[in-house]
Amino acid sequence: MLAVRSATHAALPLLALLSGLAQAAPVKIAVLETLSGPQASTGLAYRAAVRYAIDKLNASGGWNGQPVQLLEYDNQGGPAGASDKLKAAAADGVQIVVQGGSSAIGGQITEDVRKHNLRNPGKEIVYINVGAEALELTGEKCNFHHFRFAGNAQVRTKVLVQAMKQAQTLGTRVYSINQNYSWGQDMERAIADNAAAGGYQVVEKTLHDVNKIQDFAPYVAKISASGADTVITGNWSNDLLLMMKAAKAAGLKVRFGTVFLDQAGNIANAGEQAAGHFVAQTFNAEAAGTEGDRFVADYKAKSGHMPVATEPQTVFGLEMVAEALKRTKPEDGALNVNTLARNLETTRLKTPMGEASMRASDHQVLLPLVVSMVSKDAKYKADETDLGFKPVKSFTAEEASAPAQASCKMQRPI
Amino acid sequence: MDTFVFSLLNGTVYGLLLFMVSAGLTLVFGMMGVLNFAHASFYMLGAYFAYTLQGLIGFGPALVVATLLSGAVGVVVERWFLRRVHHHGHAHELLLTFGLSFIIAETIKLFFGNYPVDYRIPPALDFAAFTIGRQQVPAYRVLMAAVAIAMFAALYLLLTRTRIGIVVRAAIYKPRMAQALGHNVQLVFMGVFGVGAALAGLAGAVAGAFYTTNPNMALEVGVLVFVVVVVGGLGSLGGAMLASLLIGIVTSLAVGVDRSLADLLAVVGAGAWAQAVGGLMTLKLSSLAATLPFALMLLILLVRPSGLMGERA
Repeated sequence: MLAVRSATHAALPLLALLSGLAQAAPVKIAVLETLSGPQASTGLAYRAAVRYAIDKLNASGGWNGQPVQLLEYDNQGGPAGASDKLKAAAADGVQIVVQGGSSAIGGQITEDVRKHNLRNPGKEIVYINVGAEALELTGEKCNFHHFRFAGNAQVRTKVLVQAMKQAQTLGTRVYSINQNYSWGQDMERAIADNAAAGGYQVVEKTLHDVNKIQDFAPYVAKISASGADTVITGNWSNDLLLMMKAAKAAGLKVRFGTVFLDQAGNIANAGEQAAGHFVAQTFNAEAAGTEGDRFVADYKAKSGHMPVATEPQTVFGLEMVAEALKRTKPEDGALNVNTLARNLETTRLKTPMGEASMRASDHQVLLPLVVSMVSKDAKYKADETDLGFKPVKSFTAEEASAPAQASCKMQRPI
Repeated sequence: MDTFVFSLLNGTVYGLLLFMVSAGLTLVFGMMGVLNFAHASFYMLGAYFAYTLQGLIGFGPALVVATLLSGAVGVVVERWFLRRVHHHGHAHELLLTFGLSFIIAETIKLFFGNYPVDYRIPPALDFAAFTIGRQQVPAYRVLMAAVAIAMFAALYLLLTRTRIGIVVRAAIYKPRMAQALGHNVQLVFMGVFGVGAALAGLAGAVAGAFYTTNPNMALEVGVLVFVVVVVGGLGSLGGAMLASLLIGIVTSLAVGVDRSLADLLAVVGAGAWAQAVGGLMTLKLSSLAATLPFALMLLILLVRPSGLMGERA
């Protein structure tokens, strides 16, 4: 049964390709995510959100009177796989590529897209980044065909520090512990940069290997020795869970300020141990009010689960793409990607969280953020536990934004 | 000082846990002459069995049943899979266990989903055993260490002090001769494989509650277990114990060392130069902690390819 289904899955794009030749080609959007292997859960969440957004776009008429076509490619968890699949997507006539799962993969895609577009004028591809948050993507590596619809270390840390300070839970001694790659290093810098605004001192900084450590007790010993009040970390998945558990086991009384505590399964696994810790989110249904309720209900009805972690931002990002598509008129029955990219630069969207807009200078979205605390008082519970994310403070897009990086020199096609 | 003692203790407990998983692997290697790629999968199976059962029969019984079930799966794998490909040679056995590890991981995902499950330490065991300085040592950690030590003692006594041990060692060392003397070597192989799987399952059931139980846990611990077995010497139980403790303690202590090569060179007056070079020179040892076991393996393979206590080269 499974084999049959995957065979039809494989054949579908092919059939669509053949039938597409008869009339004007539909716009093809590709999800280039990690769909198999250990990190598949992240990629599958992005895919669910993209599917939801594309279905919505097609329900409202698609583009140029035709439904938009969604293709799915498995990057197999690494930059090398992503690079290969990007070539395949380009050969299949894909014009819009969506990815978010990892900054390492995002870095590969943005470079490959840049090179592809240089070599193939008239056949450009635009990269819609819905979750790779490394600063370099809108800094040194920024490029006209890359748009980020997610946060980054600067904005996330900024709101986290402000909200925790206002809730009087930040303290004056902060420990910075992060994963040793682009994202973690960005976080470490952001934590240091926000020290003055937050009125704290960074007592110690630690970078550690990514997803290799089982036993965080030695790190907890270090945190304990430093006498920190709060730990701020960009860690995700196991590196976050294991650290919180080890801290709890050692009886360490610190508060965690995190970015990825709202990933699916985290609250189920950590349980009570997560209570009282903070997370900077791009979406919280309770903070978004009735609009948020409506979005959650609709998403749940269509996808079968609540939108969590990165799913809402992905949906909003693709809705912004849909909005820009609507303003892009077909040229000879086809989509001109450069025109679409120019329209994307001026896109604004009213999301349930508030207004979001694209900043033209570095292609970083300005989006409202919310800082929440894990608590039993939350309206929406996470992972079928009695805990959820109680909003502590909401930030408008302007309040949350950090200035564009000077290192971004945007080259626009003439 | 407190921190040092605490780190040492943590490293020891983590090392003992590694030993629990690698004990079975090294025994099975000694027997089959092949690394069992699916070994860490039994560790994962143990955790998921215990997670499923603890709601039905309680935590303690769940540990026991999970151990037995993992062992049973191991027996099935040996009897109906490995034995069939045995005469094709080692490459086939290796590939079979490799494929099996994927099948087990995907099956787990099918039943339990992609995300970590809420397998946690039971509240009755969730207290601090004692305090060192400002830090508490959880009772569960002590329990994990106790289980590992008991396991090592039992295995060691079984292999060296009993008749069963003699037969097993004979079957591993000279299978044809043991067979000629009327021992059922097939049965011995099946038993050793089953016990190895059961031990990994026990380790998973115990550690799954303390760390996380997720579909990647086999992968996470699997690589390190291979390192342990290679460093300790393939087939050597004592070696596995030594290597586990070594790796546990080294990684634990390294976390506390915020020194880089540049600091070392500063002693001979080349510090400024090293700082200027950057790169590897200024990388702190603490950020490399999780990589050290692999460096250790490289070193061992270079200077003593048979491992710390291994007999064959």
